[in-house]
Amino acid sequence: MVEIEIDGQLVNAEPGEMVIAVTDRESISVPRFCYHKKLSISASCRMCLVDVEGAPKPQPACSTPIAEGMKIHTQNEKAVASQKAVMEFLLINHPLDCPICDQGGECELQDVAVEYGSDVSRFSEGKRIVAPSDIGPLIQTDMTRCIHCTRCVRFGNEIAGIMEMGATGRGEELKIEPFLAEGITSELSGNMIDVCPVGALTSKPFRYELRSWQMSSIESIARHDLVGSNLYAQTYKGNVKRVVSGDNDAVNETWISDRDRFSYEGLSHENRLLSPQIKVEGQWKEVEWDVALDFAVKGLNRNILNSRNMAKLGGLASNTATLEELYLMQKLLREMGCENIDHRLNVKNLNNTIHLKSTMALADLEAVDYGLIIGANLRLEQPMINHRLRKAQLSGANITALNVKDFDYNYKVKSNAIAPSEIANTLAGVLKILLDKAQQELPEYLLAVSPNKQTVELANELLEADNSVLILGEHLINNAQASSISNLTAEIAKLTNSTTLNLTATANSIGAQQMGFVPNSTGMNTNEMFEADMCAFLLLDIYPEYDFHHSATALSALSKNDVFVISLNSFSNELVSQYSDVMLPMAAMFETSGTHMNIDGKMQSFSAAVSAPGEAKPVWKILKVLADLLELPGFHYENSAKVMEGISHQSVQSHEHDTSVNLGDRTTLVETIWMHSPYQSDVLLRHADSLSVSKIGQINTASMNASTAKILSLSDKDSYLGVPVEIIETMADQCVFVSSNQATNIGGLK
Amino acid sequence: MISNNAKKQIDSWITKYPQGKQSSAVMEALKAVQAENNNQLSHDLIQAVADYLDMPGIAAAEVATFYENYNHQPVGKHIIRFCHNISCMLNGADDLILHLEAKLGVKTGQITKDGLISVKKVECLGACVGAPMFQIGDQYYENLTTDKIDEIVDGLK
Repeated sequence: MVEIEIDGQLVNAEPGEMVIAVTDRESISVPRFCYHKKLSISASCRMCLVDVEGAPKPQPACSTPIAEGMKIHTQNEKAVASQKAVMEFLLINHPLDCPICDQGGECELQDVAVEYGSDVSRFSEGKRIVAPSDIGPLIQTDMTRCIHCTRCVRFGNEIAGIMEMGATGRGEELKIEPFLAEGITSELSGNMIDVCPVGALTSKPFRYELRSWQMSSIESIARHDLVGSNLYAQTYKGNVKRVVSGDNDAVNETWISDRDRFSYEGLSHENRLLSPQIKVEGQWKEVEWDVALDFAVKGLNRNILNSRNMAKLGGLASNTATLEELYLMQKLLREMGCENIDHRLNVKNLNNTIHLKSTMALADLEAVDYGLIIGANLRLEQPMINHRLRKAQLSGANITALNVKDFDYNYKVKSNAIAPSEIANTLAGVLKILLDKAQQELPEYLLAVSPNKQTVELANELLEADNSVLILGEHLINNAQASSISNLTAEIAKLTNSTTLNLTATANSIGAQQMGFVPNSTGMNTNEMFEADMCAFLLLDIYPEYDFHHSATALSALSKNDVFVISLNSFSNELVSQYSDVMLPMAAMFETSGTHMNIDGKMQSFSAAVSAPGEAKPVWKILKVLADLLELPGFHYENSAKVMEGISHQSVQSHEHDTSVNLGDRTTLVETIWMHSPYQSDVLLRHADSLSVSKIGQINTASMNASTAKILSLSDKDSYLGVPVEIIETMADQCVFVSSNQATNIGGLK
Repeated sequence: MISNNAKKQIDSWITKYPQGKQSSAVMEALKAVQAENNNQLSHDLIQAVADYLDMPGIAAAEVATFYENYNHQPVGKHIIRFCHNISCMLNGADDLILHLEAKLGVKTGQITKDGLISVKKVECLGACVGAPMFQIGDQYYENLTTDKIDEIVDGLK
């Protein structure tokens, strides 16, 4: 620490840190455009010029390091004169179109110009005009307004990890533009809107909608992935009009993914379920809430309660539910004596699951020196977790991936395209080497395993690392050896002192597990329920053609004549209305208060930003009233925060897991991994129009290499499981990776 | 897209930079590729150079559009690079450019009908001492006057 003087005030600062960081910390205002705390320093806009005593010329605060005894003036004549001069230059070419500019009212240039700009321009020549370029459905460009701060260029290069925007030309011809005709494709691209200090890059879906001061900003939490990014929902007259990122260094720093930013568009989709409906003699009838709930209770009485047949009732919920919703729903079911409760909908075999615990805090991920990714395309599936790992890699960590495809990583990854059936064997090989090195006894299942070049390499990488992380991803959930992979990973972590991240289920899945939204030993899981002869179901925001692995079985089980189905849904859906007897419209994301639990186990509560449309109600209220009507005790909650108090008293039951390892070989000629494409992972996203026409939203491919295509007698003009074939040599042999933006081909072979 | 000959040249430039800094060779790489493609760079050629040097296409495009010695439009056999920066401008470059345009019957950026000459306005070539000046090929022509320009241009074959 050294002592310096800023505007006559004594301040302590670290030598070497930049002047602007100190003035920001001390709340001394210094104007700036190109400086951004999370981006590299460019010092190109010169707006932050300050007077440093002893320096002949004013110095840019963003790139002048602190030294002992420095005396800085941010507001003296010299500093202000320089700032005003720079302002005058910046305004030479900036158009005077604030009245029609979306940035107006929240524009850094506008704010600074009010303070430092002159009323009259001395520049009488023509201003330059730059033609706008179409860079995709999410970002609107008006490049005439650009002041060349290069924040978007640096964001792409440094944070998004793909340099898409660049500064072409020179002098007055300089333009900020993408090189590729397809525009901006990054999964984090929306952050360019936030970093742009002027109206050059603005939100396309929000274009010409509203002024920033007309909206209320409500803090909220994104629920599409395991991160729980902090954000602000900006609302006007009961509608979410825009989402911007919030700051939380432990969670999302200051970035949010495009998925979190643009999903709100789905809220106003015409497919929203708006009123309670009951099915009378095969016909749907819109009714009042009390009629619908009464109908639901009568149905439960008739099919379940009167005959005390609780084992014939099942409750299933989507992972996107809040903690409170999941807690209340399992409480309601358990109070009724029902143990058939599950949130794991898309798992082929629920006796063979990944149950690895996550043992790492999100922010610590950037400090690892080795990472092993198994079965995940992190960039698109968990963008903010990928961002942390990218930071680790950039500061020297080695990252290795065992994936069925060499995905388009945005940092250096040693990638070995590997068939899903070889993962368990590979990990077993690694474990064997590690146990040998530690001179520990080998379990029987390892005796026949012979290490190969790859396993030796992996084991060495793990042994050399001091702070390694093992990451299991979503592609593993339906791996034939899922449970073994989970157990092997846990063993390897123990021997190498590695931390682990289990990213195999997303959204609020960790919360669902914590809330006990899984059957106990007497209950049935999702798949068992569909095989059993059930009499009634309570379903929370479920869309069968997207959510279930066994969608055909699920559909036939739910559609049986004598099965009474109560569906709480935020969107209407053809299949749901076919099998349901009651449909209750529920509040979606941003419309309900609640809590999300992220990968750290961190619980983040949020309030409702807007109220739900039509007759839709928050789920916690629906469940509470339903419980009251069923005369169940203990549901006297006034609000969701009271539910939360109940949750903190909840003791989590830990489940016994099978720790055995079974190593199998490939059993099918061609192995298939079937995933929803990244912007299809929940119902709100599926209705977000701009996302769905973006480059990532359009991903709909069954990837395979040429030899696999030959085995399947397919060409790139055909489709596989209803998804267009892409022939690409980065795939493992005899494997297909499907990333589909369509519903499951029900009855197909999945 | 890049010929083996150009690749050979690029590879030799890469060796002059530290390992992993191959993208530093981008200027020479663009030059070598341009020389083999009618003295002109296309979008695809820039991308090919970027791919070869393992750098983003836009980063190569930034370089290719910053410097005047890369051409993005068809050019003549001889390119007259006329400096119009401050020293040359103060010494009458603007009028001389008009003279040259009138003589050749083309505007800057265009090619004469016979495909022999094109004119390009460029930024400072570092020869302010001899302003006004232009460059043809590797040769600088300084202290230009209308007569001198006529003589030089008439001598181009």
